[in-house]
Amino acid sequence: MSLVVDAISKRFGEVVALDGVSFSVEPGHIFGLLGANGAGKTTSMRIVLDILRADSGTVTWQGQANTELPRRTWGYLPEERGLYLRMKVVDVLSFFASLYGVERGAATAELEEWLQRFRIPDYRDRRVEELSKGNQQKIQFIAAILHDPAVLIMDEPFTGLDPVNVQLLKEAFVEMRDRGKTLIFSTHQMETAEELCESIAIIDRGRVVVSGPLKDVKRATGRQVVRLATDRDGNGTEWLDGMDGVTVGVRREDFVELGVPAGADPELILRAALDRGERVTRFEIGEPSLEEIFIEHVGRPALAEEDRHLAAPTREAPAETES
Amino acid sequence: MSLLPNAWHIARREYRQRTASRTFVIVTAFLAVVGIGIALLPVLGRLITGDETTTVAVHSTDVQLASTTATTMNQLLNADGKARYEISAADDPAAADADVRAGRIDGLLTVTRAADGELSFEALTDASGTDQRLFAVRQAVIQVNIGDRLRRAGVEPSEAGHIFAETPWQVTPLDPNSHSLEDNFGANYILAYALVILTFMAVITYGQWVATSVAEEKSSRVMELLVTAATPRQLLAGKVIGNGAAGLTQYVVVVAAALVGLLAQGAVAQYLLGDKAGAPLEDVNLLVLAPFGVFFVGGFALYSLLYAGLGSLASRTEDVQQATGPMLFIGMGGYFASFIALSTPEAAWVKVVSLIPFFSPYMLPMRMLISSVAPWEWAVAAGLMVVFLAAALWTAARIYSAGVLLYGQRASLRSVWRAVRVDR
Repeated sequence: MSLVVDAISKRFGEVVALDGVSFSVEPGHIFGLLGANGAGKTTSMRIVLDILRADSGTVTWQGQANTELPRRTWGYLPEERGLYLRMKVVDVLSFFASLYGVERGAATAELEEWLQRFRIPDYRDRRVEELSKGNQQKIQFIAAILHDPAVLIMDEPFTGLDPVNVQLLKEAFVEMRDRGKTLIFSTHQMETAEELCESIAIIDRGRVVVSGPLKDVKRATGRQVVRLATDRDGNGTEWLDGMDGVTVGVRREDFVELGVPAGADPELILRAALDRGERVTRFEIGEPSLEEIFIEHVGRPALAEEDRHLAAPTREAPAETES
Repeated sequence: MSLLPNAWHIARREYRQRTASRTFVIVTAFLAVVGIGIALLPVLGRLITGDETTTVAVHSTDVQLASTTATTMNQLLNADGKARYEISAADDPAAADADVRAGRIDGLLTVTRAADGELSFEALTDASGTDQRLFAVRQAVIQVNIGDRLRRAGVEPSEAGHIFAETPWQVTPLDPNSHSLEDNFGANYILAYALVILTFMAVITYGQWVATSVAEEKSSRVMELLVTAATPRQLLAGKVIGNGAAGLTQYVVVVAAALVGLLAQGAVAQYLLGDKAGAPLEDVNLLVLAPFGVFFVGGFALYSLLYAGLGSLASRTEDVQQATGPMLFIGMGGYFASFIALSTPEAAWVKVVSLIPFFSPYMLPMRMLISSVAPWEWAVAAGLMVVFLAAALWTAARIYSAGVLLYGQRASLRSVWRAVRVDR
């Protein structure tokens, strides 16, 4: 039985935060909740966790309402990271584990294993405030999983991590999934979602615009992407602009990416190229990227241009944006 | 969900964090020293000023008059056998005047007999109007004058002694349990005064701790993890118990230090001054403090719960003062009402107000010490306290669960009202 979010709505005063959001997540899957800032991802997650109550709609996990489920069902990594800065790592983690009924001894053994995995075993007895933001975020992740929750809910888990730590966290995700856990995370980085998720939901202005297994979502668009390269690399491809029903996407150094609408035959492009006497070195028919699907449904990228530098993986990126 | 064991885990963390902080240790030590100091203040005060001998010169154109006045006053003022006054006749008024001005003696009393035989007295001194010694001298002077009038009226000196003898006087209190007429009323009064101040300081200071601790968790964003892991009630109860225990630890250390100081007053006075006077609390039965303890804990929990609820409306620790303003207001109300009530403990409004849970921790022990509290009043006050505590836990949990995830909004009465009404 899966996690079913059924038609949840939530208003904050005059603002409609969620308007009938529905999606479902299969157990043992990694699920991506995609949307721009303010789309309703965090509110949805808080309602699933029963921190907030929806005005209407229900959330069930394995057939049981989320309001009835024990709190240790869930592990949560909030977008706004927060730990007790003056406490030792081991004390903070055992404290949170104790709230979920995990004995200190068991918690300590488990957390040492995770510190090892995240390559920070020496930080066990350091105060949290002495750690870099990236390392604090790893501690935060451990805090979310130490009680062995069935469902792990993470809000923008990759924001503010450098590439090495992003990789470590991705491996941890896969590890958790292999242990049979269900993972839900929100992001506006489509590449990450594409890499990890079995299924997704794209949420925009409080509504789910598309959801389901990633393959199905991609297939449902009907659009295809063709990557074409000739021995002249990316040069001399202006003739493509004149082709009917074909939209030229990106022109790279060595290839051109073309969008082919649903129902059209991508091989027409190959034929046209050969007819023109081009020597084709690469012809590839692919599915559109998640980024493209997102733009198709929402009308704009998940990340506004001015926000991109903020989300770019950098060492010591601000994990906390205090208001 | 039941409060335990999470409330216990939270309380333990709060207690450890609070008591392990350097600020806590330093402040507690400092307050303990202050407590001992205040307790010993009467003795120390006497050590500095109280043991001086007060010297007064008595002058009159009638040498005989000056000498009998000085003798009588010496007897009256030193009746306690401590020889703290030295009254002597002075022949040379100019020299005595100069001595007063130079500070060599404390005062010059000039006695004049008018033509009709009446005495008049004039004192030259730099003592202030509230000086106890000036007051004592004046009392002695009045007795000297009355004695003189009696003598002139033809009353024999042997009879005069009888006239000045003590008047038997007894009051039968309407309420036989009242403490208001007992010998140690003065000591009880001081204790009641101290309890009011200590209660006020405790509920406000430690209430602020709870509120600040909530706001800190909110501003550090730890809150979102906490509310996922534990229910608002567990968090509230844990915070109140943890901070309360830490506050109580500090409180007990300071009060114990002060009590040691008070109990040692006699010994210290004996050692430093050679007598036991100035140990006002020696004859207070400390067992009367037991009900105070119960109501103190109840009041403390009541204030702390509401402090925690209101603290959750503040996004930053700087906003805590503003958000918790209403609690300070109520606390101050109880504080000032208690001071007014100290002088009229039997007034009807005092009896009514002292049953209200926000004020009973101040006013019931005070009434018990200087007046009396009927058993049914204890029962009603305790019942009301339980009801208010339950209501406070409920209200605070509502405010808290709504407040903890509200950021950037100004705390106002309206937002509090919304928080209580809206279901998360």
